Amino acid sequence: MGSLKSFIKAVRASKTIADERAVIRKESAAIRTSFRDVALDQPTRRVNISKLLYLYILGEKTHFGQVECLKLLASQSFGDKRLGYLAVMLLLDENQEVLTLLTNSLDNDMGHPNQAVVGLALCTLGNVASPELALDLYQNVEKILASGNPYLRKKAAVVAAKLVEKDADLAEAFLPHVAPLLADKNHGPLLGALALLRAVHAADATSHALLRRATPALLVHLKKLQAQGYSPEHDVLGVADPFLQVSLLQTLRTLNEHSDEHLEQLNDVLTQVASNIEPGKNSSHAVLYEAVKTIFQVRSDSALRVLGINILGKFLGTKDNNTRYVALNTLLTVLHSEPQAVQRHRSTIVHCLSDGDISIRRRALELTFAIVNEQNIRVLVREVLTFLENSDSELKPYITAQLCVAADKYAPNAKWHFDTLIRMLRVAGNHVTSDIVSNILALVMQNEDLGLTKHVVQRLYQASVEDLSQFGLNLVAVWCVGEYGDYLINTTYETDKGNVSITEDSILDFLYSLINNTTYSDAQGVQLTSYVLTAVLKLSVKFTQTATAEKLRRILNASSNSINLEIQIRAIEYQEIFSQPLALRKGLLERMPAPPVKRREGLSLNSRKVVAPSGNSSAPASDLLLDLMDDSVPAAPQQSADLLSDIFGSTPAPSAKNEIMDLFAAPSASQSKPSQLQVPSSALLAHSNSHVKLYFNVQQLGEGTALIDTLISNVLAVTVSDISMLIAVPKSQKLQLSNISSPLIQAGGTAKQTMKVNGKEGGKLKLRIKLGYSVDGQAIEEQFDFGGFGRTL
Amino acid sequence: MTIQFIIVMNRQGRTRLAKWYDLYSNKEKSLITGQVHKLISTRDTKHQSNFVEFQGNKLVYRRYAGLFFIVSIAIHDSELAYLELLHFMVEILDLYFENVCELDLVFNFYKVYAILDELYLAGEIQETSRDKVLQRLAYLDKLD
Repeated sequence: MGSLKSFIKAVRASKTIADERAVIRKESAAIRTSFRDVALDQPTRRVNISKLLYLYILGEKTHFGQVECLKLLASQSFGDKRLGYLAVMLLLDENQEVLTLLTNSLDNDMGHPNQAVVGLALCTLGNVASPELALDLYQNVEKILASGNPYLRKKAAVVAAKLVEKDADLAEAFLPHVAPLLADKNHGPLLGALALLRAVHAADATSHALLRRATPALLVHLKKLQAQGYSPEHDVLGVADPFLQVSLLQTLRTLNEHSDEHLEQLNDVLTQVASNIEPGKNSSHAVLYEAVKTIFQVRSDSALRVLGINILGKFLGTKDNNTRYVALNTLLTVLHSEPQAVQRHRSTIVHCLSDGDISIRRRALELTFAIVNEQNIRVLVREVLTFLENSDSELKPYITAQLCVAADKYAPNAKWHFDTLIRMLRVAGNHVTSDIVSNILALVMQNEDLGLTKHVVQRLYQASVEDLSQFGLNLVAVWCVGEYGDYLINTTYETDKGNVSITEDSILDFLYSLINNTTYSDAQGVQLTSYVLTAVLKLSVKFTQTATAEKLRRILNASSNSINLEIQIRAIEYQEIFSQPLALRKGLLERMPAPPVKRREGLSLNSRKVVAPSGNSSAPASDLLLDLMDDSVPAAPQQSADLLSDIFGSTPAPSAKNEIMDLFAAPSASQSKPSQLQVPSSALLAHSNSHVKLYFNVQQLGEGTALIDTLISNVLAVTVSDISMLIAVPKSQKLQLSNISSPLIQAGGTAKQTMKVNGKEGGKLKLRIKLGYSVDGQAIEEQFDFGGFGRTL
Repeated sequence: MTIQFIIVMNRQGRTRLAKWYDLYSNKEKSLITGQVHKLISTRDTKHQSNFVEFQGNKLVYRRYAGLFFIVSIAIHDSELAYLELLHFMVEILDLYFENVCELDLVFNFYKVYAILDELYLAGEIQETSRDKVLQRLAYLDKLD
């Protein structure tokens, strides 16, 4: 058997896939055979393992070599151990049984006199740690943490962080090590210490106050990096160790997110960072970006927040796509806390609409809609309309929907509002939803200014005649032509080629061209033809010439032979009406009463977490549902209320339900059965607030299994709805959660959810609970930990 | 600041290096590698950012000659810092191999893993000093 190099060369030299397979299969077989040799010498084993690793990289099967890797670890040579541990890290993962065999090797090597070997063992533990390994070996790591060697200390700190992540109970053991580690001046160990601090912080809520005391020490480190001149060792393009600065900032905001204890010093240092670092290089942007994120996550003062927004504004002005991308992303999340400051960068944001990168365009677009207000709507909408014309078609439906919302909210006057909507229909008439169409029609009908209505109808007619390929536009236009045809007849409009006058004949031509339109899909064609037929009927009382009125009748006659049932039925019914006396028709075809315009909330392109002052995030969804239901609201017959509560009572919470339940609260509350559940006296009170109490009732605990009922009782005099509970257990345990007995609880009632936890016998049972519910339409979410069961699994 | 995985692949999608810091089965690994290649190789280097969202995480990548260096990070982590870190890693490779090229990575893959292990540990950055990393690597090679 040859060397690794010749094997790699042979694989690379293969001309066809079949050749390559043959080479690989042959080598793989040879390695297998050699592993069966009891007297295999170490050098050959080493070559074989390195070949095995190459096979792994090629994506071949390597499971047969796992035990051989462990044999290599037993060698005293550093080279053997290095290769052995590398193989362990690549070939094994924490799922495999062989890991238990590994424990011994790691245990020995972490006490090895050669620090390079200790380093290897630590590195391996960090990469393959399982909860079992974590529990078995954490004491070795603790010992190394206390040692004087900075190289090992930094590795041990990161490994400790990983172990805490695997088993949250270890946070207690490592907590005392955090503070001394943070005193280290070496960057490597300090980075490790920060990782450990964050891991402990995430695993153990009780440690937060203690860990927060590290804030001043971290600030000192950060200040020192700021003040430090050029240091070649850690310099990245003029910034002193940006990685450490980023890590420090990240840790600082994790620690101080919910506390004002160190706010003043924190604000000082953040100001220093934000104003000291010169933007221009990616390394400096990385630190500034982190500083800005920190500014908005802790409770900074307004001046600092404005400074943060301005940094993002500068970012937007750079040529670097990456910097612009993060700036837009961040602006979207912080917009709500300093809207005025964001407004100042309006032109830069708008400029990003024409960026080459779609992900930047998309974010700029979302941001543009987010900053629209009464003052800037004219400018911004003009930009958006230009953008709409050339934009990616996947974005168009979003733009038209948002544009309607914005125009509806902030239109300076009715004429502007209509002109904008018509322009939108002209450039994106194929990308409007049917409710946009009906909303536009409702707006036209509601308008009481006769002059404006004439203007709108004429503009719609003109636009539609000029472009017969914009579906939404055609629909709106043909409806208006039918309803307001009398305003059109005998008027003129201007075009490039001079004035065009509208006559009964030209309107007929327009209707013909729509009926014979072939650019649309079948379904669209049917819808459009139905609209045309309705317009024809309405126009029959508006046309004054008998010849044109006769042509209208012929349109109906032709359509009464349509192969489409919908069109045929409609045409025949209209024929019937058409043959009635004029006076009767006139009464029948009076102007439509104006329906209400539905208000809509803006939607987001991406679902993202927004740093906002407690907004009701479920609003848009529930609005939609309410829209669907609102026809039946005024009548609200009792049966339907029952039906609704029946339907909803048995299914787990759709988020929009509470509003509906509120609507029907009175009838359903009196008729649905009162909750039968009672909280037994043995139940443990885990959490309580002014709305609810949460109890755990242990059914069974021990032998590695826990069966626990969670009981939530409502202490209010009103219904608590939308209850959702998420529970997390340490990674070493498995959790099964049943559906909740009812997602809403009447006053004084109780709901039950059962969970089953499986894990190693003797393991501590610790739960993290996230409880969400709504009271009076207000969504509340709480998170807390509970471990007070007094017994182990 | 935790990395889920680092992948180095060429433009044809051949993996030159893959280090997984989170738990993935072999099947998932090959699936992800394929998807990542499809996603990254079609992106426009001039007009697009070096960040893509991927399966609830974020990929940060850089192209050096024919090789893509890709790292996957959590959505709230700093893209810019990791972009800088990729460059830092390539710098180290370049200094270590003296003008690194794709073939260096092919024939010395085990050394590349060793270098990675001095830079990152369990998905965390462990050393940010170029000299310290290079000194340590030279020392370890002497022990071999």
